[in-house]
Amino acid sequence: MPDGPVRDAEVKPAEDARAPDGDAERAVEHEQERVPDDRLLRALADVDNLRKRFDREVARARADERARAAQSWLPVVDNLELALDHAGPECAPLAEGLRAVRDQAVALLAALGFPRFEDVGQAFDPARDEALAIVETGAPSGTVVATLRPGYGTAESMLRPAGVVVARASD
Amino acid sequence: MAKAVGIDLGTTNSVIAVVEGGQPTVIPNAEGSRTTPSVVAFLDNGERLVGQLARRQAILNPKGTITSAKRFVGRRFDEVKSEIQAVAYDVVEGPNGTVRFKVHDRLVSPEEVSALVLRKLADDAGKFLGEKVTEAVITVPAYFNDAQRQSTKDAGRIAGLEVLRIINEPTAAALAYGLDKRSNETVLVFDLGGGTFDVSILDVGEGVVEVRATSGDTHLGGDDFDRRLVDHLAEEFKKENGIDLRNDAQALQRLFEAAEKAKIELSAVTQTQVNLPFITADANGPKHLVTSIMRAQFEEMTRDLLDRCLGPVEHAMADAKVTASDIDEVILVGGSTRMPAVQNLVRRLTGGKDPNMTVNPDEVVADGAAVQAAVIKGEMQDVLLLDVTPLSLGVETLGGVMSKIIERNTTIPARRTEVFTTAEDNQPAVDIVILQGERERAADNRVLGRLRLEGIRPAPRGVPQVEVTFDIDANGILNVSARDRDTGAEQQITITETSNLSRDDVDRMVRDAEVHRNEDERLRQEVDARNELDSVSYQVRRRLDEVGDGVPSNERSRAEMLLAEARQAIENQADLERLRSLTSDLQQIFHSLAAATATGDGQGGPEASAPDEDVIDADFTVG
Repeated sequence: MPDGPVRDAEVKPAEDARAPDGDAERAVEHEQERVPDDRLLRALADVDNLRKRFDREVARARADERARAAQSWLPVVDNLELALDHAGPECAPLAEGLRAVRDQAVALLAALGFPRFEDVGQAFDPARDEALAIVETGAPSGTVVATLRPGYGTAESMLRPAGVVVARASD
Repeated sequence: MAKAVGIDLGTTNSVIAVVEGGQPTVIPNAEGSRTTPSVVAFLDNGERLVGQLARRQAILNPKGTITSAKRFVGRRFDEVKSEIQAVAYDVVEGPNGTVRFKVHDRLVSPEEVSALVLRKLADDAGKFLGEKVTEAVITVPAYFNDAQRQSTKDAGRIAGLEVLRIINEPTAAALAYGLDKRSNETVLVFDLGGGTFDVSILDVGEGVVEVRATSGDTHLGGDDFDRRLVDHLAEEFKKENGIDLRNDAQALQRLFEAAEKAKIELSAVTQTQVNLPFITADANGPKHLVTSIMRAQFEEMTRDLLDRCLGPVEHAMADAKVTASDIDEVILVGGSTRMPAVQNLVRRLTGGKDPNMTVNPDEVVADGAAVQAAVIKGEMQDVLLLDVTPLSLGVETLGGVMSKIIERNTTIPARRTEVFTTAEDNQPAVDIVILQGERERAADNRVLGRLRLEGIRPAPRGVPQVEVTFDIDANGILNVSARDRDTGAEQQITITETSNLSRDDVDRMVRDAEVHRNEDERLRQEVDARNELDSVSYQVRRRLDEVGDGVPSNERSRAEMLLAEARQAIENQADLERLRSLTSDLQQIFHSLAAATATGDGQGGPEASAPDEDVIDADFTVG
């Protein structure tokens, strides 16, 4: 890690070097006395590294668990969305309420760090989209023409890619 | 220093692991997954995708998406005719009868494809570890011939890795379980992955692992089980609604996901729900697929798949000239071995032996390869030198219970300090009884030594603070010291016999604790409850004395009555419920006394009235 913080151990000798000349001899003697066992240093370094790794792993475990929990809710949001697609004009007031519930769920997922996206009209990007079907249309080849299932997440943390239909030039 | 890793380069998925702190751990890839699909895609624009990303674009680019390259690695074109039928991309004959994939008018060798998978695994691992990965142990199936092993090594080299060793997958699994340290055992490794099935018989002994026989089915795996479930659900739906869901990309995707989920759930429960509302629609409106599947039903529809495992196991055992009774250990590898039906089959074929499955079966091969890499690099030794305390160490406290200070399995050297106090007013000394064991009752544990700290200045109970320090050095020698924080007086004792117990003694003591856990737990609760009641009684009595005539007579008489009942309850070892209800009654009295007088420190409860009580862990009995 080139741009990490400077360690204490690297600073101290410099301070010792600034000691007045008269004390230099004693300082050297003192230094020798304090030369720690190599194994001790290694053990201490191991503990320090372990602590850092532990911090990293706790953070990762939390992110993983958050993603896992959010992911298990996705089918519920998907199904709510499918239900809304089937809502005819005869149940408009109910559909309106359900749409608000859907919006609430989508906002909640975004707040957890997994914003929703659809990518229709954009070029197919395997980092964001999963191709489920191909159609031959007038659209330029490789363009996303429909979303069968919206995606959730960001480039850094992809919960689920969007399931899309991709255009292929008819030839 | 660069890390040496272990890589399980699989037919459908690959895994990379490293030994850290003496333990193998799997490293997630850049997308955060612990397994990476062994899929490489070559795009029109020259770009290459590896893993999950390659899989996501597969249907757009069927000729440029290479899956299962492992089936072609190191083989001659005339050997792989049957494999070619199973893939969507073009396989052609290269120079000298080799196999080549024809991708966008370019010829790509299977080694190059494997190299791209290896490169991604190593690059992602390097980013995760913060240091470049340059050396690896790579696993191959036990049946791979020299050409296939050499090609796998070449793939590693093309990927820029120094291949420390090529080892067999079943051998790696045995290493992950540490079976190489046994002497003279016969091990059966049953590996049912996503798309392949391998069974191997190993001879292990004194650090050497030898493969005696292998067998398998190169086209049998968990995917076949998923497919059965999808077909079952689709057929059932078709019968009822006249619509075939397999013709609808979105519905099929949902079906596959639901089938895999159901399969996984049926490993844990005997019945599961498949819930796919709005799966499709016709003129009459939306249609839902809501059904339940029993485990027995699932096992019935996949019985023939399971039966296909039988032949290879029998075949391998016959080749190795062993019978079920000769097999000492069984190891399960591959996610599909989580299915109870598979486990039962293995048990039946190996004479009822319980298979090893404590290590994640998807990761066990990579773990073993990482262990091998660490052994080659000499990284495993230092770690093995560290010892642990086989049993807990502690002191006896009020009520005759053991308060643990160092828990069993703590890595030594270790040092722990806890603060204790007195149980009586003006207690002049404390006796410290040093105990070893796992039981709650002091008398059920082993006494290692005693220590007496005298000259404690007269003070109410709970006020003196005695620091007790347990220090075990790397040789297991225990040093116990007790120091009075008030006077600075200190006593200490050195005990050398903490580790002279035999393995059997330790095991027996741990087992005893396990057997008596429930009664010990109850005993501990009773002692704690009695101590708590005793403590609150003491506080109430003190408060009554302090306040004197300020207490209304009716309240005083109620308090006196409760105190008498409490004393009796403690003496007669009353049950938990009685102890707790008296404690809460007395706590209320204490609070109302505090409120009535409303002077000085009157707000605090019994807990708050002893100084620094939060650091006191237990009380010592009178010494």
